[in-house]
Amino acid sequence: MTKPILRVENLYKKFKDTEVLKGLSLTVDEGEVVVIIGPSGTGKSTLLRCINRLTEPDAGDIYLGEHKIESGKSNLSRIRQQIGMVFQDFNLFNHLTALQNVAIGPVKVKKTDKKKALKLAMKELERVGLADKAQSYPAELSGGQKQRVAIARALAMDPKIMLFDEPTSALDPELIGEVLEVMKDLADAGMTMMVVSHEMGFAREAADRIVFLEDGVVSEMGSPEKIFNNPEKERTREFISKIARLHGGDDLELTYK
Amino acid sequence: MIEHVQFFIKIWPELFKGLVVSLQLSAGALLLGLAIGLPMALMRTYGKGFIKTLAVGYIELIRGTPMIVQLFLIYYGLPDMGILLDRIPAAIIALGINSSAYQAEYFRGAILSIDEGQGKAAQALGMTKQQAIINIILPQALRLVLPPWSNEVIYMVKYTSVAFLIAVPELMARGKMIISWTFKPLETLFWVGVIYVIILSVIAKIVDIIERKLAIPGFQMSRED
Ligand SMILES: Nc1ncnc2c1ncn2[C@@H]1O[C@H](COP(=O)(O)OP(=O)(O)OP(=O)(O)O)[C@@H](O)[C@H]1O
Ligand SMILES: [Mg+2]
Repeated sequence: MTKPILRVENLYKKFKDTEVLKGLSLTVDEGEVVVIIGPSGTGKSTLLRCINRLTEPDAGDIYLGEHKIESGKSNLSRIRQQIGMVFQDFNLFNHLTALQNVAIGPVKVKKTDKKKALKLAMKELERVGLADKAQSYPAELSGGQKQRVAIARALAMDPKIMLFDEPTSALDPELIGEVLEVMKDLADAGMTMMVVSHEMGFAREAADRIVFLEDGVVSEMGSPEKIFNNPEKERTREFISKIARLHGGDDLELTYK
Repeated sequence: MIEHVQFFIKIWPELFKGLVVSLQLSAGALLLGLAIGLPMALMRTYGKGFIKTLAVGYIELIRGTPMIVQLFLIYYGLPDMGILLDRIPAAIIALGINSSAYQAEYFRGAILSIDEGQGKAAQALGMTKQQAIINIILPQALRLVLPPWSNEVIYMVKYTSVAFLIAVPELMARGKMIISWTFKPLETLFWVGVIYVIILSVIAKIVDIIERKLAIPGFQMSRED
């Protein structure tokens, strides 16, 4: 029934002398929400960046659907269009309004007619609840609003999968909820998502699977229940209890409700 | 007092002709400097190997030699190689080449100050590196470069006075001519100075208006306040 949309096979990456990814393999099914957790410096960001080739892996294969992701030029642009990426520090284009930020991908990359692109952009802004901020520049938005615009910008390319790299960790606590809510809606709408996040409330509520990354490989994975309540490895249990203390979610109450 | 004003009225037509030439030199040299400087900045920032070395060599060579040498080389040196230039084109080319090296460094500084996440986000959307530079990096860098660039405009108007050394009839050269007819160096130079001050403050004002027009929240212009 389920079919894999993203396959990462035996991924290796090292920077100078530090080996970061050591033969990591991971598959994500269509419509699945995978939350990735793991200690700092373990290669979570590197994994996401290898997937859309912002970082070039040393070895290993990555497939999006049937297509192998390679660094040849035209192929790469086509693949990246299908992979939405949301960064920790938003990276909105500072010289463009919220609306232009969302429209520029379709206009410049997909060569969508400008009027059509603006209409589409407005729809995506509505989807993240920011239609009234369409004409604001990034400097005029709060962190939470910036991140929601960044999500809309990625969605405007109509991606097959969305990658989130700690989307709320640069936010003030009171702004985290609005971003998680948008992500939750997205998950409910059936978007395939790969989310690096230590927001346990979100993981419990939205994740189909939790992947515990350590030392450059998948150390353990399973349903939220299994990972939170009955992990196989002691190391996983330790890590979960550590982040539960830091990020809440020690009960089933969602942090953002 | 009256006689000073009368003197000014008498010499004004000559000075005005000189002013027009000075402004032509400035505009020509600034545009030439932009046309060479921006590509040089891109080559130095993004280029590799020979391209990068070429840009670095050009910029450092120009910045490392006095402008007067460059001017004389172009006006007196090129004819030896069979290239004969009129005074005004020779002055524009010399001033323009000189300016291009400085403009290149302004542009490069602005490009480097743009957060690297901007280009990464553009590439993540599927833009090629060139598309990211053209659509995302440069529009931001050009806004950041406006304050140093407007200083370059003002320097340039003043620098054009060196063109009088190859007898280009610009403002300073006209002043010198007037002195040789009237034997009134002090008054003449006084009025030449006044014209420079007035024209420079008008230009500063215009640049200021342009900066305000292009201002975007989050791109605070460092020249304000
Ligand atoms: N461009 C780079 N050059 C050199 N080293 C890098 C680079 N990017 C990442 N690293 C190193 O690779 C390791 C893994 O980094 P990565 O950012 O993938 O970890 P992470 O799991 O995302 O950590 P965090 O939770 O802190 O974000 C770190 O030791 C980091 O210093
Ligand atoms: Mg990271």
